[in-house]
Amino acid sequence: MEKNRTSLDSIKILNRRSFIVAFFGLIFSIIIGIRLFSLQIINSSFYKKKSADNKISIKITPPLRGDIYDSKNNLLAGNASLYEFVIFKNLNKHYLDEIKLINEKLNLNLDLEYHKPRLNKFNSYTPYSLLRASWDQLVEFEKNKFLFTAIKIIESKKRFYAHKNMSQIIGYMGMPENNDELYPQGVFHLEKTYEEQLKGEPGKIFNEVNSKGKIVREVSIQNPIKGDDLKLTVNLELQNFVQSILPSDKKGSAVILNRFDGSILSMNSNPTFDSQVFEDRDNANISSLLNDKNRPLFNRAFSGFYPPGSVFKPLPALLGLQKNLVNETTEVFCKGHSSLSDRNYYCWKKGGHGKVNLKRAIKESCDVYFYELAKKCNIDDLSELATNLGLNQSYDIGLSNIDKGLVPNKKWKKAFLDQGWYTGETLITFIGQGYNLTSPLQLAVLYSAIINGGIYPLPKINMNFPTKYQGKEFNNAHKSILMSSLNSVVQESRGTANRLNSLNPNYVKIGGKTGTSQVIRIKESEREDDAYKDKKIEDRFIDHSVFVGYAPYDNPKYIAAVIIENGGSGSAVAAPLAHEILNYAYKINV
Amino acid sequence: MFKSIKSLLDLNWIYFFIILVIFWIGEINLYSAANGSLDPWASSQLKRFIFFLPVFLFVLLLQPKFIYNFSEVILISVILGLVITLIFGYTGMGATRWIRVGNFNLQVSEFAKIALVIFMAKYFHKLNAEKTIGFFRSLIPLIISLFIFILVAIQPDLGTALIILSLGLLAIFYAGIKLIYPLIAIGAVIASSPFLWTLLKPYQQNRVKIFLNPDLDPLGKGYHIIQSKIAIGSGGLNGNGFLEGSQSSLDFIPEKETDFVFSIFSEQFGFIGSILIISLFLLFFLIPVFKTFKLSQVFNKIILFTLSFKIFFEFLINISMTIGLVPVVGVALPFMSFGGSSLLSNMIICALLMNFMAVEEKKRMFG
Repeated sequence: MEKNRTSLDSIKILNRRSFIVAFFGLIFSIIIGIRLFSLQIINSSFYKKKSADNKISIKITPPLRGDIYDSKNNLLAGNASLYEFVIFKNLNKHYLDEIKLINEKLNLNLDLEYHKPRLNKFNSYTPYSLLRASWDQLVEFEKNKFLFTAIKIIESKKRFYAHKNMSQIIGYMGMPENNDELYPQGVFHLEKTYEEQLKGEPGKIFNEVNSKGKIVREVSIQNPIKGDDLKLTVNLELQNFVQSILPSDKKGSAVILNRFDGSILSMNSNPTFDSQVFEDRDNANISSLLNDKNRPLFNRAFSGFYPPGSVFKPLPALLGLQKNLVNETTEVFCKGHSSLSDRNYYCWKKGGHGKVNLKRAIKESCDVYFYELAKKCNIDDLSELATNLGLNQSYDIGLSNIDKGLVPNKKWKKAFLDQGWYTGETLITFIGQGYNLTSPLQLAVLYSAIINGGIYPLPKINMNFPTKYQGKEFNNAHKSILMSSLNSVVQESRGTANRLNSLNPNYVKIGGKTGTSQVIRIKESEREDDAYKDKKIEDRFIDHSVFVGYAPYDNPKYIAAVIIENGGSGSAVAAPLAHEILNYAYKINV
Repeated sequence: MFKSIKSLLDLNWIYFFIILVIFWIGEINLYSAANGSLDPWASSQLKRFIFFLPVFLFVLLLQPKFIYNFSEVILISVILGLVITLIFGYTGMGATRWIRVGNFNLQVSEFAKIALVIFMAKYFHKLNAEKTIGFFRSLIPLIISLFIFILVAIQPDLGTALIILSLGLLAIFYAGIKLIYPLIAIGAVIASSPFLWTLLKPYQQNRVKIFLNPDLDPLGKGYHIIQSKIAIGSGGLNGNGFLEGSQSSLDFIPEKETDFVFSIFSEQFGFIGSILIISLFLLFFLIPVFKTFKLSQVFNKIILFTLSFKIFFEFLINISMTIGLVPVVGVALPFMSFGGSSLLSNMIICALLMNFMAVEEKKRMFG
């Protein structure tokens, strides 16, 4: 039972209770005060930054990309205007209807199922890109403009490639794999290598935006800075000419080098492609390029590796001279083949060349001379000399997929094939077959090294790149022997390319060496056999036709390396092409 | 029924001045919430204030005795109003909280707070002050509080319902219930909290979870708290200045004219402004509390203490919401949040407070 109390007691209780409540109220207020102190005083700068991040949105404006020019300042790659259909969600609630409408009016097939979920997530005040607009579509849209409120046209920049024949060198652009970058960048060849130089500095527009992303006002602007231009050593006119004379039905390539400074004057590969296809996101064409079995994206001039064939022969000749194994007058008797233990190694000339000295061995491309020389040589010495003169290495000229090729040695064979070296292999290596692999660019460099007496300029494609030299100097007398031999190939009767003089007597006089690169290993005895020659064989088993030449022959400036895949013998196909090209380069004085 | 007009002179007009200052700060704040425009909130709130002044005056002049006599009538009308709300109420934002009276949408639950307090004051007054209040004597007020709590909670309006329940419990506590019972009750609530948790609607559970960790849902429910804290924190010591709050002007603060008015105030006026507001509300609470010490009539004491605490408590809960101390439960900031019912009920409370502060107790006034 509850006991009674006095009125005064009761009031005391109430007052005490009000103290308790007021006390807790005060504590609560103090906690709030402390919390506010923590937010507004201690962490104020943190929240100030958060607040600024909230309201400032940075819009990136892509810079103009640097232009690319040829050696005569012809524009090869520049910037062009690009028009896009974009949609602003904030301008019309029923923006999806407008997509249906533009499909209908302009006869497009924008996929609503594709765009709808993306648009749902997209900010209302930022243009959502629907499609790049063609000129016809722009005109049609302008006619129906009054029908659209959310769909607009905006202009931006795209890469513009002025000359299709430069695509194999310039490469193309694409969207980067990692999404850090907001706009396309170079992904292939020079566009990729010189990305840093070409790309420029993006501009930034600092906008104040509200919670829905709507721009309230512009705070400040940083203008974009155009990328630096790139000037190439390549001559557009020569490049176009070479492409025009390369047989369109054959795969092949040609490299023209200036032997004084290593400038690549033209570098063609057939079949080729058009970089613009990638820039225009022409997906049908892109996939057909990627699936083409002739590999048009593959630049055979520096990515294509072939056995060099007889164009290789000056190298073993030089080795023989340097090792004092032969001199100008040393003769070998070619009876059509050379024997090593119980095996015969055949010369291409069935009946043999008879007595052959070094000059004649090169002029008439006698294989037996080099077989005999090979028997006295160490393969490692040849490999070392080849490396000194530009083979067995890749050149840093800013192109993708450039490889090293191969002039084999014992160490290589042990490492890659886990086998010892056979002397027989030295024999076929000396005539440019076997494991030998060289690219047309490497062959041009090899001949540049020979003409320059060992110290040669590294090939380059960027005009502003200083010329660098490398290599190992060799005896001037040896050089004279090699040069007179190579000159005689074209200039003297019975030279394998002598018919060039009668074919085009008015052309600049050249020197050089023919080569025939074996595609399949047929029995040596069959090689130049009449039966074999007459046999109708599949195209893809026909030998590659190779020629490396220089002009003018008495004071060379231009070196041309030409290879036509499955073209047949070097003298028949590659040599006349090389002559045309060298003559053209000489005439226009690249 | 009415006191003489002359009695107005005896009122504590300084107290009224404090209310005016708070209201005026609220007006300035609503003006800035609309980015420096009287529309849509500031002017409309001011019109309401002026429109409600006759009601204010009416309550000011009522005889305390009259209020005492009619306390049950008031309570029953309010409960009826709540039932009508549930049946005929106007539904908005997923809740049925309003009934249409003329041009107003009236939120009866706001007035239930006052009615409950008046009823409790009379109940405990009648219950001979000499009697200790034990379990059985607190049962009726407790049941009535819970009943009103449920009527409001199923609207649903958990925030208001919790305030009503708190006021009921506070009145019982203040009236002098033996301390053992509140302690048992607190223990029981803690013990049954897992069960209570399951009673909450999923969205309410979410609110509590997100309150505990706003980053769970930074773009959804947690967005309110995160953006509000950014606004307040970025205010710093002095604030960003009048109309210079970007969180407010760029619409990063949701419900900035109602639940989050304090955020935009604090963004503009900083720590100093916040402390000023806290001081004003503290003063508002403590002046009637000091008066209660001079009074001996339980009816007067409970009315003064509980009603002044009501406004102070709503203030504390609202600010705590904006700085992430309590979950977002939808409690308005008295005199500063935009809203008619809450303004009217708070003006009535102020009139009652001023009326009862002027009471001169000479003899037992009631019963």
